[in-house]
Amino acid sequence: MSAPASSSAAAGPVPARWPRLRRPDPVALLALPAFAYLAAAYGWPLLILLARSLSGPDGISLAPFATFLSDPFSWRVIGNTVRTALLVTLVCLVAGYPAAVALARARGAVQALLLLSVILPLSVGVVVKAYAWQIVLRRDGVVSQALVGLGIWDAPQRLLFTETGLVIGAANVFLPFMILPIYAVIRLIDPRLSEAAATLGASPLRRFLTVILPLTLPGIVSGIAFVFSLAVSMYVVPSLVIGDRYQTLATLTGRAFLFMRDEQLGSTTAVILLVIAVAVVVGSTALARRLGGGQS
Amino acid sequence: MTDPGFLTVAGAEKRFGASVVLGGVDLAVARGEFVSLLGPSGCGKTTLLRIVAGLVAPDRGRVVLDGRDITRTPPHRRDVGVVFQNYALFPHLTVAENVAFGLKAKGHRRADIPAAVARFLDLVQMASFAERRAQALSGGQQQRVAVARALAVQPKLLLLDEPFSALDRKLREAMQIDLKRLLRELGITALFVTHDQDEALTMSDRIAVMNRGAIEQLADPVTLYRRPATTFALTFVGLSSRLAGTVREEGDGLIRVETALGTVWAPGRFRPGSPVLLGVRPERIRIGGAGPNAIEAALVEVAFQGARAHLFFAGPDGARTLLAEAPEIPAGAAPGARMRLSWAVEDTLVFPAEPAAQQEAA
Ligand SMILES: Nc1ncnc2c1ncn2[C@@H]1O[C@H](COP(=O)(O)OP(=O)(O)OP(=O)(O)O)[C@@H](O)[C@H]1O
Ligand SMILES: [Mg+2]
Repeated sequence: MSAPASSSAAAGPVPARWPRLRRPDPVALLALPAFAYLAAAYGWPLLILLARSLSGPDGISLAPFATFLSDPFSWRVIGNTVRTALLVTLVCLVAGYPAAVALARARGAVQALLLLSVILPLSVGVVVKAYAWQIVLRRDGVVSQALVGLGIWDAPQRLLFTETGLVIGAANVFLPFMILPIYAVIRLIDPRLSEAAATLGASPLRRFLTVILPLTLPGIVSGIAFVFSLAVSMYVVPSLVIGDRYQTLATLTGRAFLFMRDEQLGSTTAVILLVIAVAVVVGSTALARRLGGGQS
Repeated sequence: MTDPGFLTVAGAEKRFGASVVLGGVDLAVARGEFVSLLGPSGCGKTTLLRIVAGLVAPDRGRVVLDGRDITRTPPHRRDVGVVFQNYALFPHLTVAENVAFGLKAKGHRRADIPAAVARFLDLVQMASFAERRAQALSGGQQQRVAVARALAVQPKLLLLDEPFSALDRKLREAMQIDLKRLLRELGITALFVTHDQDEALTMSDRIAVMNRGAIEQLADPVTLYRRPATTFALTFVGLSSRLAGTVREEGDGLIRVETALGTVWAPGRFRPGSPVLLGVRPERIRIGGAGPNAIEAALVEVAFQGARAHLFFAGPDGARTLLAEAPEIPAGAAPGARMRLSWAVEDTLVFPAEPAAQQEAA
């Protein structure tokens, strides 16, 4: 169970490119069921939410936003939200890109096995995973013991209830959403391109930077959009791994609706969350287009 | 070979799993020479080319280019350009950026690059497409850009893997002439893969005929056609009439061969009793006439080709293994007619019969 506000924020990044509606294309009708469903299940509640966040005691006003944003606590919450989401996205990108390359290069049974190990965890519920991470991140958990064993830490430490623990746990949950879109793009790249670059004098690093990376950019952007929008609006993982002391926009929204019964606050934080998520997704897509277009 | 051996491949072997793809290939190419690798699909042409480019490591053998052993040199330090079969242009770059790619990678001065790009695009007549995306080009245009891209870095050696196979016949023939001229003007040494014998004969200084992972003959086109070294070279390059027989007599560099259609004389040294396969190029066969080599055969089919006609005759086993070429369809050339075929002794090619050929003749 997640709060309605967090699911509406997660719905933000899905349409990557809007279809052109000038000339009605019969094929576009195929998108109708999904579109209608999204409109009814997300669009409509979202509109209500937006209306509520903008309605003060005397008509439409931005006052709720002003009140919320004038509180230093709110900025700490926004900071928590954006920082953890960025860190989770970064960890997923750094860990996921090489994994996607390995997945695309592997053949036969090895590839099937790797793919399974990426997809299968998706079928384990987030709550189950979060509980598992509670165990792993304890003072006597695997991570702590490993770090002590490697000599990185002097004494066992507790990662549970810390931001580091949250990022580690959340990155684990969202990693497949980074790997899969990148893998899908790499698979389509003609291996001859890298060979051609080699015969033209490009070193392995140069081949990666000038050929492979630009061609995988669309996959990277999709991955970032997926993971960031999931991480910025995650509710279950922070609730279970870090608890009440640490608030993000999503947990605050949930508390506002479920415990504080403050619909005004809840809809305000939900809208801010949505704006952040959409801004990052739109921004990264635009950036990718510029980078992809003007490559030299 | 008296060749200086600008490119030398010595004893190149490659196996993939259990299958031997190259079984000890030797090849020497002189500076400025245009050599074709000609052979049927799967004979290892691409593999040999990739070994020279450094994209595949040979299990055994050496590759020497311009006096330097490059067997273990990675591709980006070899100075060997490649035009790939599917062109492999960079889809995220424009035509000009594709051509500039190698110049940048090799660290040419930034200021010099646009002029070099323009020059090579000009050479392949693609200057007006410089700002197009590589994907928005036709096959022939992509091929030209691929050539310009490979040549722009001025490699010591250019490798081309069936660069024309995706083009229609007319365009292909025009491009063959253009490419040959361009490479001659630039003095580029080229190794060219094809399974099209006409293409190889038209373009090459020398042709390496490959079969099952080995080079069966390396010779200039005229020698290859007139004096094929093996039955494979005989049948793979050009058309031929073939007749199996047994050597009955040998002397003075001549042999007398007994065949199912009569006695044939040929130049060669074979012990009496050896089974042999005789071959004659169709344009060397006269309809009618007389001489030491004259046989009678039944006409099976006439194929009119415009400038000439092909006449197929039944061999001893009834298969259409005899072919004569005539400038005109001779009078009375109806299927079933028995006609006299004659040819000069020195035009008869002799090969030791292979087990497979013997079975065919039986
Ligand atoms: N990477 C590989 N792994 C396994 N087998 C391979 C590999 N590359 C080539 N082969 C095999 O080696 C043999 C020769 O391949 P190669 O591509 O050199 O042939 P080719 O002469 O270029 O043929 P074509 O005219 O069809 O291009 C083929 O039987 C092919 O299946
Ligand atoms: Mg090939």
